[in-house]
Amino acid sequence: MKKLRITVEGKAYEVLVEILDEAGSPTVPPRAVAPVLAAPAAAAPRAATPAVTRGAGGSGEVVSPLAGKVVSLDVRIGQTVAEGAQVATVEAMKMNTYIYASKAGTVSEILVNPGDGVEEGAVLLRIG
Amino acid sequence: MAIAPELLQQLEEKRQIAYAAGGLDKLAERKKKGIMSARERLAVLFQPGTFMEFGLHAQHDAHHFNMADKAMPCDGVITGVGYVDGRPMAAYSQDFTVGGGSVGRIHAKKICDLMEYAQHAGIPIVGINDSGGARIQEGDVALSGYGQVFFRNVLLSGVVPQISVIAGPCAGGAAYSPALTDFIIMTKQNAQMFICGPDVIKAATGTTVTMDEIGSATAHATISGNIHFMTEDEAGAIAVVKRLHSFLPSNNVMDPPHRPSPTLTMERDPGMNELVPADPKAPMDVLKVIARLVDDGDFLEVQRDWAKNLVVGFARIQGLVVGIVGNQPMVKAGTLDIDSSDKGARFIRFCNVFNIPVVTLVDIPGFMPGLAQERGGIIRHGAKMLFAYASATVPKITIIMRKSYGGAYLAMCSKDMGADLVYAWPCAEIAVMGAEGAVRILYKREIAAAADSAAKAAELAADYREKFASPYEAARKGVITDVIEPAQTRGIVAMALRNTLSKRETRPPKKHGNIPL
Repeated sequence: MKKLRITVEGKAYEVLVEILDEAGSPTVPPRAVAPVLAAPAAAAPRAATPAVTRGAGGSGEVVSPLAGKVVSLDVRIGQTVAEGAQVATVEAMKMNTYIYASKAGTVSEILVNPGDGVEEGAVLLRIG
Repeated sequence: MAIAPELLQQLEEKRQIAYAAGGLDKLAERKKKGIMSARERLAVLFQPGTFMEFGLHAQHDAHHFNMADKAMPCDGVITGVGYVDGRPMAAYSQDFTVGGGSVGRIHAKKICDLMEYAQHAGIPIVGINDSGGARIQEGDVALSGYGQVFFRNVLLSGVVPQISVIAGPCAGGAAYSPALTDFIIMTKQNAQMFICGPDVIKAATGTTVTMDEIGSATAHATISGNIHFMTEDEAGAIAVVKRLHSFLPSNNVMDPPHRPSPTLTMERDPGMNELVPADPKAPMDVLKVIARLVDDGDFLEVQRDWAKNLVVGFARIQGLVVGIVGNQPMVKAGTLDIDSSDKGARFIRFCNVFNIPVVTLVDIPGFMPGLAQERGGIIRHGAKMLFAYASATVPKITIIMRKSYGGAYLAMCSKDMGADLVYAWPCAEIAVMGAEGAVRILYKREIAAAADSAAKAAELAADYREKFASPYEAARKGVITDVIEPAQTRGIVAMALRNTLSKRETRPPKKHGNIPL
């Protein structure tokens, strides 16, 4: 169980989320994760840049810098990555955007599948 | 017959008192911390022996709170004129050792007098900020001093380049003087800039924030976009002042310091061809294009760490100073969004007022889609790009490298926005919208009726792309000047700049336009 606070249009809701499969297998619908995490960014119009910066920081969450479609995941769970290594590709606006590891470590969780639509700020994968 | 020696001695004594600033002990303490004194900063900025000081003997004007007997050498700010690379520049440097660098009436008057001198002489002015704020003992007179500085910041705007260095605290109202200048350089070491500090934010809103989050150079360079350059320390900041100065004219009636190479070379650069990926979806790093386009790869990027989907900065192309504006497809697919529009528009307007030709490198799929963008006012912000380009009368050369779609095509200085010359690479896609989207509207019924609608859509899209997403349709209609090989770009831009440098364009007289803000 994971406790999350979700803010929608300034109103905070505390919710309990049950994670059925920690490994993030296809049984967990990844799309359910993306919109929830994208909600705060949508509520605060200027939050786009900080969200990206935070993702690019040391937190280990790799986020999509823009809304688009996941073209490929370029790493596997358990794979060791160096900081700045290409980990995923998102297509948006007729262009591929390469997503890079926010820190060095091991890929602990992949939250999306190729072909998925993602919102700006959505977490694509986690590096432990 | 000679001047009385005691008079000379008295002069020397008075000078020494002023040079001692807030006291030799305070200066020594600062040195130990690795922070330069106000005078040392000016010594690093100016060529040796060229500094001519104004108001060395100034003293404060405060009478209350037992201030009358307290000495404040130079009233906490050193002002004057010196030389940087053989050209004069005005500068003031606030002295934190004297009353915390606080701004009183005379302190503000010294800055205002220097600003007026800079305006009349037509020379750039640099302000090195290191001040605790208004001198509370002087009350409203200190506040009024800030107002007078702001007013002159606005008077000087567009007349002489104004550069601010933030090398210490710069809080509250004081932050608005740098904000009114053209460029802000901030040090990571020892500098903060904010309107309301963490304590005030906590008291007013209950939110806990750290100084780093709101006032550090990193926060301003990457998130707020308030500053233009971030450096480790003050020596680095002063080096940036000199770099900027090397590209800027002294005032708005002079040309920037062009150093045209005696012979223009049209030599091809095959490396430029190699930069272009075969796959139109693979992003091309515009910084690599710029590195090949400009002299010696020497590019002074402005606001490098903020709104990175648009790259702006100064360089020379075969000796001529240019401002470069380029989409960066490596970030957010190179779209224009709110922040990058603000960044680009302000840079273009700076170039225009100081006679710096603008070279635009286009690779843009469109404006950034999204709820946050629409609700944040992308219409109003994106309009700034159109406004800035259309109102610029300097030479405007545009290179459409790859994508150039819809309204964003116009916002990147198309011919319609007054570009003097527009060149496109053979891989350029100039169209009102992407092929897939266009055929879905144009052939809605045909696609729905087809046995395999996806295949039909793809076939029609390929047809559309061939017809419209190429530079030749645009070239046929005369909306671009020519189609060129990427390898020819440097030579052609250099020639285009020389041909256009004598451009004179006059507009209907008016107070000023009404740019959407």
